[in-house]
Amino acid sequence: MKNNNPLSPHLQIYKWQISSLLSITHRIVGVINFFAIILICFWIMLITFGQSNYSIINVFLNTTFGKFLVISLCWTFSFHILNELRHLTWDAGYGFDLKVAKITGIIALIGSFVLTILFYILGRNLF
Amino acid sequence: MAQFSLPQNSKIEVGKYHKDKTNSKNIRKINVYRWDPSTGKNPRVDTFEVDMDNCGPKVLDILFKIKNEIDPSLTFRRSCAHGVCGSCAMNIDGINGLACIKSHSDISGDLNIYPLPHLKVVKDLIGDLTTLYKQYESIQPWLKVDQTGQEKTELKQTQKEREKLDGYYECILCACCSTSCPSYWWNGDKYLGPAVLLQAYRWINDSRDGDKKERLKKVADELKLYRCHTIMNCTNSCPKGLNPAKAIGSIKKMLATS
Repeated sequence: MKNNNPLSPHLQIYKWQISSLLSITHRIVGVINFFAIILICFWIMLITFGQSNYSIINVFLNTTFGKFLVISLCWTFSFHILNELRHLTWDAGYGFDLKVAKITGIIALIGSFVLTILFYILGRNLF
Repeated sequence: MAQFSLPQNSKIEVGKYHKDKTNSKNIRKINVYRWDPSTGKNPRVDTFEVDMDNCGPKVLDILFKIKNEIDPSLTFRRSCAHGVCGSCAMNIDGINGLACIKSHSDISGDLNIYPLPHLKVVKDLIGDLTTLYKQYESIQPWLKVDQTGQEKTELKQTQKEREKLDGYYECILCACCSTSCPSYWWNGDKYLGPAVLLQAYRWINDSRDGDKKERLKKVADELKLYRCHTIMNCTNSCPKGLNPAKAIGSIKKMLATS
């Protein structure tokens, strides 16, 4: 095939499915979690260096942006865990049926928000 | 890194507008991807106003109507018109499918028709599937037996063994699934894609085949097989209702447990 033939449109025209949307979200969220875990490790390391370090981060996390960051990370972790459970069942050979995959996908999505709220309530000692 | 945008020579331009000449009251706008290799111009999207009162029920009927009554230069592949040959696979309203079995009444609004995604366009709605056919050849889609010349006997199969092929032998290789897969878009030269992997599974799973281990070994490759991330666009688009994602999952499971 000559190289000057055009490439037919792909991402530009293909309709998003629930499955494909969750798949790309899973990947993006995975990258975010990777960096988040590094940050959390640094944070814990800083605590070992003394109390003053702890209070600096405490102030930061109590700003609006800090709160947003923490709640967002609660969601990214929740979503990644639940969607990873789907991947585990797929690896075991189950859940490939189109309807089942759709339902588990929606459950993972809704579940991730429920888990986030639960984390928030637990963290705030609201129980 | 994959290129997510279209290359410069593939950017789509606004095409011609073909106004309805039949004075019909039931008009539908059909947007069709056009590219003519003889002009050297970029591809464009032409809009056709089609009289739906005198049109068959399927998307292919619309294409025929355009070709017969409005623009005879419109080019597309078709053969059986019954969803058996797989020639008229194209992207209809954002999802791959066979134009001959897709009802246009199922789609609301203007109808967008493009060739199968991420292929080199030959003309209008025809994409170049050479790579896919080469990959299909690479999995050796034929029965391999140890028998030599004289001792050839009939290879019997129990009903149960035969049932294992249900949901896989029906594949017509229309390439709807492979060209719907983002992984295949970005790694189409190395990743085998859902259609070919489903076929690979069909031969691995055949009780009469004597080359199961070798076939599994051949397909067990970081790029050939494991580029599948269970995005499931393949299963969502298969016009025959098959499940390539499950076939690929089954191969992965076989490799993990053998």
